[in-house]
Amino acid sequence: MPELPVRKVGIISCSGEEMPEGTISRLATRRVLETLQPERTVTICLPLFLAGGEGERAFARHYPTIAIDGCEKRCAARGTEMYSAMPAASIVVSELSSRSSDELGTARRLSDQGRELMQATAVATSEIVDRLLGTRAPIQIKTSDSSASPAKTVVSCSCGAGIPVKQLTIAGRETEVAALPVIYQSWQSACRMPHQGISAEMLKIVKVYNPIPEDDEDAWKQAIALDYARFCSEKE
Amino acid sequence: MKPKALIIPCSGIGKTLGSVARESAFRVTEDLRPETSRLMPLSLLVLGEEDTRKLLASTPVVAIDGCTKSCAAKVAAERGGAVSRALQVSDAFKRHRGLKPDGVAQLNEGGLQLAQALAEEVANLVDQMDGEVNNA
Repeated sequence: MPELPVRKVGIISCSGEEMPEGTISRLATRRVLETLQPERTVTICLPLFLAGGEGERAFARHYPTIAIDGCEKRCAARGTEMYSAMPAASIVVSELSSRSSDELGTARRLSDQGRELMQATAVATSEIVDRLLGTRAPIQIKTSDSSASPAKTVVSCSCGAGIPVKQLTIAGRETEVAALPVIYQSWQSACRMPHQGISAEMLKIVKVYNPIPEDDEDAWKQAIALDYARFCSEKE
Repeated sequence: MKPKALIIPCSGIGKTLGSVARESAFRVTEDLRPETSRLMPLSLLVLGEEDTRKLLASTPVVAIDGCTKSCAAKVAAERGGAVSRALQVSDAFKRHRGLKPDGVAQLNEGGLQLAQALAEEVANLVDQMDGEVNNA
């Protein structure tokens, strides 16, 4: 496997503006990204799988993901599976509490109970992050939303969270190939030079991040071989 | 009652402009035009459920996007929606330079005022719609 950006957990949240549980999903996601697991989590918003390019669609193929959904429709979990890959874990906010939706406030303004559930959702998500990454980072849980002002944290978010892509012309078509820049770097670092040809092994790795139609495999190989040769000559 | 327009905001959770888009949509559908507009979460469109698709196909859409990726407008159109107007928060900011938004989970005063200004523009657009999709 190429050494793609540092292993992190991707968190994909329901955007549900129709219900308080949707807001809880969203705010819990931010709580994890900003406070509980900064450095170890990134996010991407669900509709970017559709509106974005291959880089966005490859997101869940690279990052193990946790889907946080507001309700049993499970848009985030199902959408991630449909357009990227099966989430490693899934949380449904409405299943974490026996409180009715009304008690949680509105989508626009959460009640105290809603904020409590948001905190519980964030903590549950953070515990899954620990499980997925296998190590426990020190976490500081804030019990109140509005108390001390938290340190400014840069959150890895939506638009920048996709896998790096490269544009190639394959079989006459402009094609975005996800992960190619880092695959090249990894290959070159291992002294695997282009005159050795593009092996089945390299194509297999490219396939992890890109759907390649069987009939087009030769064209992909050819285009990547040429491009990799160019990449190596530029680095010399 | 069938709304005259569906308001579909950006669902971004990482950037201020996405939060402004969402807040604008709340203000239109809950405060300014609750009877004639309805908020449609973008994530529902991703799944493409039957009820959602029917409503989307038969009601004009006002998309409010946070950035040039235009997820709301693109996904609505891709899912069969008639996007009557596609707005960008960044354009609204250009028209209201004094309202500098900041914050994500909690917008600052500038962000809230920008959301209000954009919501009023959207409410005017809703007033001009008759709720019918023009397939011509």
